Amino acid sequence: MRNQRSVKQEFLRKWITGLRRYSCDEKKNMSFLERKKAIKLSADIAMASTRDKTTRWSQALIANASSSGDTLTGSSKNNSSRSRKKMLMMRRRRPKVKSAKKEMSASCIAKRLAEKRTRKLKNLLPGGESIDEGCLVEETLDYIESLRAQIEVMRYLVTASQLIINPYP
Amino acid sequence: MEHAALDSIQFNEQIQGLMAPAPESTNSFTALLELPPPQAVKLLHSPDKAPTGSEKPPCHASILKPYPSIMSIIDGTRKLTFPSNTALIERAAKFSVFAEEGPPAPPVAEVKNEPPETDSNPSSTQCDPAVENKGAKRKEREKKVKARSKKSKSVAAAESSGDGEKLPYVHVRVRRGQATDSHSLAERARREKINARMKLLQELVPGCNKISGTALVLDEIINHVQSLQRQVEFLSMKLAAVNPRIHFNLDSIMPNEGASLMDSSIPNMASPLMWPEIPNNGNREQYQQPWQFDAFQQPVWGREEENPNFMTPENSMLSYDSSANSVPLQSNQLKMEL
Repeated sequence: MRNQRSVKQEFLRKWITGLRRYSCDEKKNMSFLERKKAIKLSADIAMASTRDKTTRWSQALIANASSSGDTLTGSSKNNSSRSRKKMLMMRRRRPKVKSAKKEMSASCIAKRLAEKRTRKLKNLLPGGESIDEGCLVEETLDYIESLRAQIEVMRYLVTASQLIINPYP
Repeated sequence: MEHAALDSIQFNEQIQGLMAPAPESTNSFTALLELPPPQAVKLLHSPDKAPTGSEKPPCHASILKPYPSIMSIIDGTRKLTFPSNTALIERAAKFSVFAEEGPPAPPVAEVKNEPPETDSNPSSTQCDPAVENKGAKRKEREKKVKARSKKSKSVAAAESSGDGEKLPYVHVRVRRGQATDSHSLAERARREKINARMKLLQELVPGCNKISGTALVLDEIINHVQSLQRQVEFLSMKLAAVNPRIHFNLDSIMPNEGASLMDSSIPNMASPLMWPEIPNNGNREQYQQPWQFDAFQQPVWGREEENPNFMTPENSMLSYDSSANSVPLQSNQLKMEL
C-alpha cells in the first residue's frame, strides 16, 4: 500500500534523525540498556510524530516522553504540554456509576467481561486511560497499524546492520 | 443510467444490478448494501442528508488515512449511491410503491440540493407532487416499515454516522415495538457505530474473524497489541546489541542498504516461515540466535545460491507478519532517501 510505504519512510527518517541527536550530543559510551532505551524511545516518538498528532495515543506518547525529561523532544515540549492540558480538560465526560450488588443475568456478566477487557485495552494504549469507548476502537486500529509499521522498519534495520557487521563470515 | 420501462420486475432487476458490484468486499458497510430494492431506495436517501454530502468529514478521513482499502470501500459506496439516486427515486415515485406510506421515504428536497453528484435527471422535479416533503429532521419511521426497517435502520445509522461526525441529524429508523425516544435512538446509533468499528478491528487482527463474542475478540486484540509492543522492545534490544554505538549503524547502513536488500528481495517471495516464535513471545533468550544468521548471509551478496534453504531464516524474519512486498518496498524506500 502506498500509504504504508510513505508512513514507513517518514518513520525511518524521523527515527534516524532522533538517533543522530543522541550520537552527536553524547560522546560517552552508553551502556547496553541505555542504548536500548534510547533506541526504543526515539522509535516510539518517531512513530507518534508520523501521525502528526491526529490521534490521541500519539499525543499522549509524546507528552509522556517529554514529561520524563527526555532531550530528544525539546522542540515538541511546548506543544505536548499544551495538548496535555487540553486532554485533561476534555476528560470530564460521563463517569459511569457502577453498582455494588451482584447481578447474575447473562447480559450483565457479559457486560462486565467486556468492561474488564476494555479497561485492559485502555491501559495498554498510551494515553488510553480516559478515552471514550467509541474512540477507543479507532485509536486501537491506528495504534496497531503504526506498531506494525514500526516493527517492520526496525526488523529491517536489524537485519541490515547484521549484514554490515558480518558480510563474509 | 439506463432508462427502462416502468415495469416493477425490471425495476427490481435494475436495482439489484446496480447493487451487485458494491459488495465485493467483506466490509460491513458495503455488505449491507445487498438489499432488495425498496430498502435500497430507502437507504439511498440517508447519505444524501449530509449538507456536505459529497465530501468526507476531515476527522474521519484523517483517522482512516492509513487504511486505503477501507477508504476506497467507503468511496465506492458513495459513488454507487449518488448516481443511482435520482433515477431510482424518480422511478419509485412513479410506481406509487411508496405512495401508500403517509410519510414518504425518499426526500426529494434533499435530492434537489445535490445537483453536482447526480447525473441530474430533469424529470426528478416531477417527483415533487407525488412525494411529500418531510421536515429536515426525520427520526422515526412507524410500524409499517417493520420488516424492512431492520436492515435499513442499521445501514442508515451506519452510513450517516460513517459520513458525518459533522452530520447534524442522525437518521435512524425504529424497529417495531422499540422505544422511539431520542435517547435510546442515539444510544443505538452509537452502538451501531462502535460495532462497525469493532468489525474493522476484527478484520485487522489475525484470527479474530472466527471468534464471536465481544469479550473474546477483545482478548485477542489485547494479546495482539501486547505482542506487538513486546516485539518492539525486543527489536530495540537487538538493535542495541548489534551496534556498539548508536551512531555506528547510521553511516554504514545508508550506502549499502539498497544494494544488499534488492538482492535478497527476490528469494523472499517464496520462502516459508521458519521462525514464527520469535516475534510472538519476544523472548529475551532468543536474541542469541541472530548470530547464527551470519552463516547464512552469503547468498544475499549476489552470489549464486547453492541451497535456497539457507535464505529462509533471514527471509522469514524479513517477511514475517507482512507480505513479501514490504521488503522490496522498504529497499525502494531507502533508495529514495539516498
